Amino acid sequence: MSTLTVAKKDFKGARRARTLWLVAALLAVVAGLMAYVWEAGSTQTDAEAVRELLRTVAAIMSFLLPIVVLVASYLAIAGERESGGIKFLLGLPNTRGDVIVGKFLSRTLIAGLSVVFMFLVAIAVALVQFGAFPVAVFVGVVVATTLYATVFVSIAVSLSAFVKSRSRAVAGAIGAYFGLIIINLGIPVISIESILKYLHQDLLGMEANPDLYNFVLHLSPLYAFQKVQNLVLPKELLSFPFAESASNAEQVSRGFGDSEVVAPEGLPLYLTDEFSVLILTLWLVVPLSVAYWKFNRADLS
Amino acid sequence: MPSIQTNGLTKVFGEDVVAVDDLDLTIEDGEIFGFLGPNGAGKSTTINMLLDFIRPTEGSAQILGMDPQEQPKEIRQRIGVLPEGFGFDGHLTGREYVEWTVETKGAADNPDEILDEVGILDDADRKVGGYSKGMQQRLAFGMALVGDPQLLILDEPSSGLDPNGIQHMREVIRERAANGTTVFFSSHILSEVEAVCDRVGVMNEGRMVAVDTIENLRDQAGGTATIDLECATEPDNLGLGSVGGVVDVTVEESVLSVEVEDPSVKVDVVNHVSGHAEVVDILSESTSLEELFNTYTGGGRDSDRAAGEAADDGLAEAQEVSA
Repeated sequence: MSTLTVAKKDFKGARRARTLWLVAALLAVVAGLMAYVWEAGSTQTDAEAVRELLRTVAAIMSFLLPIVVLVASYLAIAGERESGGIKFLLGLPNTRGDVIVGKFLSRTLIAGLSVVFMFLVAIAVALVQFGAFPVAVFVGVVVATTLYATVFVSIAVSLSAFVKSRSRAVAGAIGAYFGLIIINLGIPVISIESILKYLHQDLLGMEANPDLYNFVLHLSPLYAFQKVQNLVLPKELLSFPFAESASNAEQVSRGFGDSEVVAPEGLPLYLTDEFSVLILTLWLVVPLSVAYWKFNRADLS
Repeated sequence: MPSIQTNGLTKVFGEDVVAVDDLDLTIEDGEIFGFLGPNGAGKSTTINMLLDFIRPTEGSAQILGMDPQEQPKEIRQRIGVLPEGFGFDGHLTGREYVEWTVETKGAADNPDEILDEVGILDDADRKVGGYSKGMQQRLAFGMALVGDPQLLILDEPSSGLDPNGIQHMREVIRERAANGTTVFFSSHILSEVEAVCDRVGVMNEGRMVAVDTIENLRDQAGGTATIDLECATEPDNLGLGSVGGVVDVTVEESVLSVEVEDPSVKVDVVNHVSGHAEVVDILSESTSLEELFNTYTGGGRDSDRAAGEAADDGLAEAQEVSA
């Protein structure tokens, strides 16, 4: 009850903020433009082309969406602390937990609506271009992307509850984007893989352990999102980020050149597509729990 | 059961900034209690602890018999809060804020009545971002009134209000109190507290230096009262020295300021002066309670040592009174 009144009020205020609309519109424009310029490959059917388009939109969103979500949510609580809105929230019969959960619900709704709207624009344009609407993949990609966006809402709201001020929230949001996205983009030197190898092999002097590196990579929402999409995409669109840990690693790598895609087999449990659901769920729960622990002990004045 | 009770309530910020020092305070059910002190005396820190916005370093508080840290929701359900340093989301309207408060409390109030009670019904559908400071203060006060709370905690309620607004707020506070609501409000302005409170507590540098009724404090203040008489022409001292009880006479242009031992002497002064000069206007200050307040608080944190000593004397007296 209380969480819902907190959420409703927050949503009402956020809904009227022009920047949010602007950002949501921007995402939709990006997705719409992608659909507009998309061309089917020579061997693809129209439906296949649209499926691949949806996957590509999701891939672009995997690093664009976190920016948007972080920006839309990093002040959810820190802003209330700085402006004094928190005094109304907590002068009324709400607990601090209600505030965190209420804010999380409201911002999740905003992020979810933006994701749905963006994909609706993309599919509408695609429908005109190709006359195909692959419903199952569409629903699957929208659900997976919404889950991914929700993870970043959780991270942003948690951060917002964790810090005292607006400036720290900004720093935290930038840090989160760097730590969760930038270093996972595979840029040499600052990629998580090179950092890990340096720490593990050079600094600690251990044997190379690709499974371990892959596991750490999988722990990032970015990779988990890529893996979770495998659960909703058709066979020809799957991606195999951790194939070198598979028992048939050689065949998989050969498969990339050929038309016949070979799926990795015998992956350790923690590198399977299904495991990514658990990882994303942990990203939903753990930050909020830690933030609640901290926020519940904080002096708010 | 007291509405508010604190036992050795203490808040230390950082290593050694003692904002509230070993505060014992009891507010009885149905009282209007004025919580006085200069800026920085620790009033807001105390209130923030009562509301569980911040946690005491030591000691404890009870609101309506409940611990704010253990039952914040139950307490907030039954009290009305006008916090200090609040901020509105400018995108919402005044009405929406009151509606939200009503909904959160599960109260039966009609938002229009609340908005009307605090005098902003005409602006109810405007966004709060466009409200003046005074209107925001009225709205926040209105929100505190929702759900007919048992206890109103008002932190500097009149800040930003014009004299009309202050007057109106006083009336509302009196009405609510007459219906059995306990009112606890803080202020750094004596006259504001004086006008409505049954009892006041004076806080300075984290300590409660006096708790008493206005009347007792006034008696305790003893000292002098002042009456100003404006005359048609510039008077001399008109032989006021011969009137019993007159302490001091000063003349500034056409205004005659007479300091008397006791308020009852004022009428003698008026009688005397009217026999010698044409009196155009009379201004009477009731007592020098303000001076007492200044003595207790030493004019705030910026005080010199002498004032601080005076405050210590005041503390000793207050303890005697409460003993």
